[in-house]
Amino acid sequence: MSEYKVITVPEVAVIKEIKKEIEDTSTFYLEFANPEVEKNFKIKSGQFIMCTIFGAGEFAVSLPPSPENDRFHISVRNAGKVTGALHRLQVGDKVGIRGPFGNGFPFEEIKGKNVIYVAGGIGLIPLRSSIVHVLQHRNDFGRIILLYGSRSPKDLMFQYNIEEWQKIDGFETFITIDNPAPGWTGEVGFVNTLIEKAQVPVDNTVAFVCGPPIMFNSVIKDLVNRGMREENIISTLERHMKCGIGKCQHCAIGRTLVCTDGPVYTYKQIKTLGEQI
Amino acid sequence: MFLIKKNDVLKLAQELEKSYSVYGPVVEKESGQTFLAKVDNVTDIDLNAPIPSLPPKNILFPQIEKIIGYKYDQSSKNAEIKMLVVPEAKALFGIRSCDLAGVQCLDRFFMGQEFVDDVYLEHRKKTFIVANTCTAPFAQCFCACTDSGPSAKEGYDLNLTDLGDVYLVEAGSDKGKELCEKMGLEKSDNSHLDAKVKVVDKSLDLFEEKAVENKAWISRVMNRITTGFIKPEIWEYIGDQCFECGACSFVCPSCSCFNIEDFNKQNGTTERMREWDSCSYEGYTRMAGDHNPRKPIEDRRNKRFFCKLSYSQSQKYLRPGCVGCGRCAWVCPGDIGLPNVVTYVRREITEREINE
Repeated sequence: MSEYKVITVPEVAVIKEIKKEIEDTSTFYLEFANPEVEKNFKIKSGQFIMCTIFGAGEFAVSLPPSPENDRFHISVRNAGKVTGALHRLQVGDKVGIRGPFGNGFPFEEIKGKNVIYVAGGIGLIPLRSSIVHVLQHRNDFGRIILLYGSRSPKDLMFQYNIEEWQKIDGFETFITIDNPAPGWTGEVGFVNTLIEKAQVPVDNTVAFVCGPPIMFNSVIKDLVNRGMREENIISTLERHMKCGIGKCQHCAIGRTLVCTDGPVYTYKQIKTLGEQI
Repeated sequence: MFLIKKNDVLKLAQELEKSYSVYGPVVEKESGQTFLAKVDNVTDIDLNAPIPSLPPKNILFPQIEKIIGYKYDQSSKNAEIKMLVVPEAKALFGIRSCDLAGVQCLDRFFMGQEFVDDVYLEHRKKTFIVANTCTAPFAQCFCACTDSGPSAKEGYDLNLTDLGDVYLVEAGSDKGKELCEKMGLEKSDNSHLDAKVKVVDKSLDLFEEKAVENKAWISRVMNRITTGFIKPEIWEYIGDQCFECGACSFVCPSCSCFNIEDFNKQNGTTERMREWDSCSYEGYTRMAGDHNPRKPIEDRRNKRFFCKLSYSQSQKYLRPGCVGCGRCAWVCPGDIGLPNVVTYVRREITEREINE
């Protein structure tokens, strides 16, 4: 294995900064305690890590930073025992990191195409690194469109990033919330309604879709009905994971394991796996 | 190849005892069941004992195992992490060919995929395996259907076959050969290999008479399971009988799913344990936020038999995931051990063909 990976014994990393994103989700900027590891630890967009919270356990988490020039960070919702323990930590506290694991996004294959991002809620977190990468290489791609929906205005992730990205020439953003809210003048409705509004192209186009299963299924249905090919719809899946290296089998979907064969799949692949998403 | 007198066969175990902890089939007096136990006295080993109630899985892949230990001091922010796996050198003496096939499934899965599982590797590289040919099947056996018996073809350091007054000792590795040479064992000739073929054939002939509990003609079923060509009603029928107890996974020589949990000790340190898990449990795939992609039991049962019998999974093991030991059928309270599932699927295939 030529790539540097931490497999069994986690490497210690220090929380350098904590940024509250939305009500229950924060971003933790991390730096490895060992300078050698800090230097050798290279991620690919779309991969994930296993993060140990000492005394609480370990969880799998996607990587929002772009590998090129972002600081290493994770954005995590307080959703259970271990992520809850992470949210109680402060700057200077330490965590353990194993990884990076997984296949990553297929950037080489999508060069020259229109790129559509469809995200629901915190589904924007795993797509962030891809958006940053694609925008950094703006000229390699056609139209770049973000369709983003969340429950309410206060549930929108990375608003400061979105404002930055909107300054980049030709980045089209459509944002919606599920129900009307005081002070909200933008779109209201589920994110799949934006597909029509954005006049999403289907030829020479790839769509990255990430969000809760119900949103995922309805968005995919609409994209396919519009004429998008199943192999051009890309998603990153989430599963209960324990080992990250294809051994514990908790993340099995059909014949594949999300940790080693995924987490990035095309919809065409997902359909052949014969399991619910 | 070598020979050893029948009365001397345990001398092999005695020799191994010098460098390894020896595990062999021992009949427990109270229950009459056989277990692969760590023996203090090699004369406790009974090579003619019935098939052990549990496979050797727990010796190479313990049911609960500490993998790492760590200590984090909240005030000084000092974190120390270290690996805790230090397995002893172990010799498995007289394991059956089905169980050896199970060990090979574990080997290929843990050490032959994209990543090598370093915890399993630590155990495995210090293991010596002496297999034993079954001269007659037991009632529960169907290794003849899964190509994993009655005699091991590969994967052993030594393979024993009872030829009447002597055991044929086949060496499958350099360290197996060295052990035989060191003990000065007599060399065998072709007549002994011919005798072994007769023993194996006789053992196979005895299946019809003795292996009466289970049959599982799996090849056609593997095709159907791989292509997903099985009616949902069949999985529902199978799921309805599942108690979700996980016993099938527990006794299966090739089931290797595990969970990882951190246990905090009173002294402020934490041990990360990995422990056997089963895909029959509802919590197996449940994620934070309570989304569970495999909530209905039939989805989980479907998965287990897919894992045992699909081609794609067999590519990982280089053989079917089922080794024909019959233990799942023995322990299942719902009567859906693998042979019965194979029967249900075959019945469906047949019915469909009659109707078409």
